[in-house]
Amino acid sequence: MRLSTFATLPTALLLMTTLVDRAIAVPPVIAEAEARRLAAIEKVRGAVVAVFGRGGGGGGSGVLISPEGYALTNFHVVQPAGKFMKCGLADGVLYDAVMVGLDPVGDVALIKLLPQEPGKPFPFAAMGDSDKVRIGDWVLAMGNPFLLATDFTPTITYGLVSGVNRYQYPAGTILEYTDCIQIDASINPGNSGGPLFNLDGEIIGINGRGSFEKRGRVNSGVGYAISINQIKNFLGHLKGGLLVDHATLGAVVRSDDEGRLVVTQILENSDAHRRGLDVGDQLVSFAGRPMTSVNQFKNVLGIYPKGWRLPLVYRRTDEERNTTTTHQVLVRLLGVGVDRQIQERPPRPIPEQPPEPRQPGEPRRPPGQPPMPPPGDDEKAEDKEDSPAAKFYEEKKGFANFYFNRLERDRLLGEVKKLGDFNNLAPVWRLEGERVQPIKNAFTASISQNQVRLTLDEQEFALEPLKPGESLANLREPRDSGGLLAALYVWRRFLEKGEAGFEIDFHYGGYEPFYPDGTAASRVDCEVLNGEHGPFYTKWYFRRTDGQLIGFETYTEKDHDPCEITFGDYRDVEGRKLPHRLEVRYAGKDFGIFVLKTHELKTAPDAKEKQP
Amino acid sequence: MTKRFTTILALLVWCLTAPAALADVSFAEVVRKTNPKIVKVYGAGGFRGVTAYCSGVLISPDGYILTVYSPTLDTRELRVHLYDGTRHACELVAAEPQLDVALIRIKERERFKDLPLDYFDLSQPPPEVRVGDWVLAFSNLFEIATRDEPVSVQRGVVSAITPFAGRRGIHEAPYKGKAIIVDAITNNPGAHGGALTTRKGELIGLIGKELKNALSETWVNYAMPISELRDFALRAMRGEYKPVERPERTQTADKKPYHGIVLIPDILDRTPPYVEEVVPGSPAARAGLRPDDLIVFIRAPRPDSPGEMEERVIASCKAFKETLAGLDPGMTIKVIVRRGGQLLSLDLTLEQNPVR
Repeated sequence: MRLSTFATLPTALLLMTTLVDRAIAVPPVIAEAEARRLAAIEKVRGAVVAVFGRGGGGGGSGVLISPEGYALTNFHVVQPAGKFMKCGLADGVLYDAVMVGLDPVGDVALIKLLPQEPGKPFPFAAMGDSDKVRIGDWVLAMGNPFLLATDFTPTITYGLVSGVNRYQYPAGTILEYTDCIQIDASINPGNSGGPLFNLDGEIIGINGRGSFEKRGRVNSGVGYAISINQIKNFLGHLKGGLLVDHATLGAVVRSDDEGRLVVTQILENSDAHRRGLDVGDQLVSFAGRPMTSVNQFKNVLGIYPKGWRLPLVYRRTDEERNTTTTHQVLVRLLGVGVDRQIQERPPRPIPEQPPEPRQPGEPRRPPGQPPMPPPGDDEKAEDKEDSPAAKFYEEKKGFANFYFNRLERDRLLGEVKKLGDFNNLAPVWRLEGERVQPIKNAFTASISQNQVRLTLDEQEFALEPLKPGESLANLREPRDSGGLLAALYVWRRFLEKGEAGFEIDFHYGGYEPFYPDGTAASRVDCEVLNGEHGPFYTKWYFRRTDGQLIGFETYTEKDHDPCEITFGDYRDVEGRKLPHRLEVRYAGKDFGIFVLKTHELKTAPDAKEKQP
Repeated sequence: MTKRFTTILALLVWCLTAPAALADVSFAEVVRKTNPKIVKVYGAGGFRGVTAYCSGVLISPDGYILTVYSPTLDTRELRVHLYDGTRHACELVAAEPQLDVALIRIKERERFKDLPLDYFDLSQPPPEVRVGDWVLAFSNLFEIATRDEPVSVQRGVVSAITPFAGRRGIHEAPYKGKAIIVDAITNNPGAHGGALTTRKGELIGLIGKELKNALSETWVNYAMPISELRDFALRAMRGEYKPVERPERTQTADKKPYHGIVLIPDILDRTPPYVEEVVPGSPAARAGLRPDDLIVFIRAPRPDSPGEMEERVIASCKAFKETLAGLDPGMTIKVIVRRGGQLLSLDLTLEQNPVR
């Protein structure tokens, strides 16, 4: 049956083409363009997903981005569908799928389809570079508008890019779309979550929203796609089963009459404020993009996850001295809070519900009254254990699906294991060497499981990290290091115990940039592990290209600068890899570069001999 | 190395021989060249659902702008944002309500002497437009772009070139000339005054207001051909334009009360009476009605004994029309609406139907 369809279709097409050719003689350029378009469609249509809720609730589109079955869609498609869903592909087969990661503010969700046979690869589409998209470029939108296709073959609409870097306010209950692509290809309900392709068949966006104002809920010539470059920033978080939060600078800006963006308010506990930004300063650029309007400001911020650290350039004018100074700083971004009321615009009227504040880390709202329960909170019968995808789901507060966090976490812990076995070593680790910058001093450090000592420039520092009532000043010794003693303690604990050393929390944190030498230019894209132990919160940075642990940050208090350590010069020491260069930074300033000369991780030479 | 060179050469030859000017080539270059000729216009309105913004096209290097005539222009605070994000105060030069078109200009035009603006040259007749031609539409629909952000561009095909009678709510549209009907959804809020161009970016029409076809009650996507507006624009720029004396349309002997509420299209048996739009300056606007209000009750004088008030449930658009039809200009009624989660009671004084 399928075969015959396949056989007749090209024949019919050929026949039609011939007929059309005879009738109106299509110029070769048009025929060529058409052929290219058809080739692009043929290349990617297999990767387009029709998403359905298991209980018949919800529905939308998606696109496969990896052979293992990871697919992107909209949050507002997954949200009503629940934790498990059914996904149809153009091959006509219905697959089971599980929710992996959620970005409610950005309206993105990652799901994973289960192959029919284990290990069988899925067709998938490559992600393009949405920064290269220009107004006037042709695009192909694919998906399942109005849930028309019962055989799951995608509907394809064709159009132009009407605008780029568009900002769409979170009007009413609508989610915020930042830096998005505006298109005139028809986007209708059901297209949500589907891919927007360029004519090379690369994904440049995820279609998710339209301006539906006057015509009810159908296309009015304005559709929006979330840019794929924004999604790439969040992809690590999504793959790690996180419930993603977006970022804010913690400042309010206004554009003045001369077109400058000026800070009018700033949160005192924001990193931007700690880095010097204040009311009256002019924002020049953020993350390398010039700031020309409030929309652009929101655009640029909107594409980054909470916690990312990015370069900010601001200008300060001193009226009295008539001087202007330009400052470049690296700023850690605050979160916006993911529990905003998020929902695709419902038929009017829109109920106005004041958002309920929630502190980060606080449990999500209990099920019941919320205007929009978090996915999976409404326990549909179908949602229980009977999905084959159920074994890929693990509930944990604050996560979309902890199963996938565990997966990514264990992968990175595997990288730590590659450094060697640091278990059952001496009760006290001794390190000796030189601080080479800013001035040369000798140093010795001894790290045990409950005490850290450091001698630097003949000064002695000591810390009992877990002593109750230890003052913050002590936890941050030596002065201006932000807590080097504490960092060394946490470092040993991490190498020795791994996950088990962090009793409060230990999870994979997705992608983040790291700046090995503290400058914007030194950026290295990393993956992060987060660990919380006692009063310390630590982020471990692994280089994405090779999985190398290249540094960490230890916080002694929330909303306070961490002690940053960059590892360098890894060398083999008795079967273990140990960095021999530690750069220590705090609050944007170098504390020093420490070069390791000798180290004693085992008890004593005789202890070594005792080993069989 | 040689191989790469040959490939490049081959590519070059291919590029030269295959005139890729066509079919699926990006419009990015046309858009880049056309965008500086479009302005974002900001004026009166901006409350109760009336857009305070529209679009306009530059037709001289020193800041003359052709746009659609609307109440938005009726202000001393008229401003435009040019493509580069600069803001300029503007003034109305001439308006031709019968053509639904107006000419405005930037007040301080001196600065453009040395730095002339890109513009559409109307001194030559516009290219001929035929049904089936591809067109591009440039406008700031939905006010998506601000400051230096490029206006939106859409692509369509000319479906028809025909006279059409449009209307909006209770108003008949004044423009009765030919319209270029397109298949793209171009006529959205704020799009009026935008440019309809050929695929090469030549101006062929001015995107009109949002109108419905008076015959079919369907939204129409159209532009007024530049050929119809050119005479007005050129004369108005020279300061020679005098409004054409036209016989004033006499008011029909209707004594229907005027309120200025435009409800959503009545497409169901019982379409809930949501307010779609409130005509600016109308009794409804003064009463404080807003788009998206749901009319729930009306307290009005009894038809049989106007001294007594009675409250009627307004369950549908039809019920609203029937209720209002029984009332007379001059009466003050209470309109009870649901807005958000609240019920609001608004006093509305009905008026005579305005005369154009």
